[in-house]
Amino acid sequence: QGEVRADRRAAGQLSEAAESELVQQCEEQFAQLEKLQNEIILCEPDICENHQEQVDLYVVAFRLAATDAELKLWMSMQPSSLAANAEILLHAGKDEMLKLCSELEMVVSCCEAKRDKLRETKELEQKWLEEKKQVLLAANDHIERLRVEKEKYSEHNILLETKAKIQKMKAYQEQLMESLGDILEKHVPLPQDESTASKKKKNIPLKISEDLVSLSKILEVLMDKVMNTPHDPYVTIDHTFWPPYVEMLLRYGIAVRHQENNFKIRLETFF
Amino acid sequence: MSLLKPFSKLPDLNTANILLVENEEQFQQNLANTLVEETAVTVTVRLAKSLPLPMENDESRPRIDLVVFIINLTSDKSFESAKASLKYLVPGYFLGKVCFMATNARHASVRTGCLDALRQLAVSLHCPLLFAEDQTPEGAASSARRLLTILKVASGLVPNTTALYLSNLTRCTMPPDIDQPSFD
Repeated sequence: QGEVRADRRAAGQLSEAAESELVQQCEEQFAQLEKLQNEIILCEPDICENHQEQVDLYVVAFRLAATDAELKLWMSMQPSSLAANAEILLHAGKDEMLKLCSELEMVVSCCEAKRDKLRETKELEQKWLEEKKQVLLAANDHIERLRVEKEKYSEHNILLETKAKIQKMKAYQEQLMESLGDILEKHVPLPQDESTASKKKKNIPLKISEDLVSLSKILEVLMDKVMNTPHDPYVTIDHTFWPPYVEMLLRYGIAVRHQENNFKIRLETFF
Repeated sequence: MSLLKPFSKLPDLNTANILLVENEEQFQQNLANTLVEETAVTVTVRLAKSLPLPMENDESRPRIDLVVFIINLTSDKSFESAKASLKYLVPGYFLGKVCFMATNARHASVRTGCLDALRQLAVSLHCPLLFAEDQTPEGAASSARRLLTILKVASGLVPNTTALYLSNLTRCTMPPDIDQPSFD
């Protein structure tokens, strides 16, 4: 049937001879068509007797049979030219070519559109990938930093560091105390009893108690009191403290007297 | 019983005949008007509410190349009437000469099983299932275009392509996820 149509269309602008040949071909095709049609009409009553209720089952079987028949037909068909006349072929060919060209142009534009869309998608996806890579990098950096910090500040480390600090401070304190002791020993010794020779010159009998403590001892007592009982840093002055030393401490601001009780002194921060 | 047979009559030259079957008889009007505007081929559109067609016209009616069932998904009656009309078609029609067209698929009042049932039917009969938008002229124009493509092949106007061949490509298939159990 397709051939009939194509021929009919091409018959528009042809010469006499070509047209008549074409018409004859059409007539032949049509005669064959009628013959086939009659055969079909004869066959048909057999088909409609079958049950209409189960159409879908029949359809599947029918399709299979029909597809098989069509396949056989296609396999046995030989490609043959549409008509013997060159003019007819030219016209038919031209029409077909034009149609083909327009269809291919459509395909081209469709493919281009698809390609552009895919390019866009690809760019978007790449941007997304870049962003995610950045995020990953940042996250990794953060992890690194946290790990390093954790190592620095792990409990064990802190403990060791603190111990080391304490050791250093203790050592320093030892040093300081030692030098303090040395200086005090050199410059501020314990008051000695005068020799009997100078006793004659001095009229004032220096009543020096036997159990005077050295300045370092006084300072030690003061420091211990402040450290051990910070709520009550006052030390009562007793006879073991040599008064001039006490006076010296008070004057230099190293110690201060208690507000109410003159016999109590405490260590003061001094510069 | 007057069955519709696909090859009982001689074809006319350069014509294609299409039969639109719709229970509501609404969309078929617009569709018919758009279809006859085609110029390359003479398209004859015949409208029907349901099959079987009246016996009186049997002689004057040309042979039908494509039968389109227009089913409105919001009404159950539409679907039932289409299913009943299927009986009046010879199985020979289902080799690519029948098409289902569903309208109002996005409507809020569509019953949930309706589309699935229609799909099942189309799959079992190996027919294409098209969806149409019937409220605007553009919807009618686009469905008319698609029907014309199938119609041209079904009436033999496209060389080297038979309706059966095309229907193997256009037939409705069940999407795979429908077969899995739903989570309702």
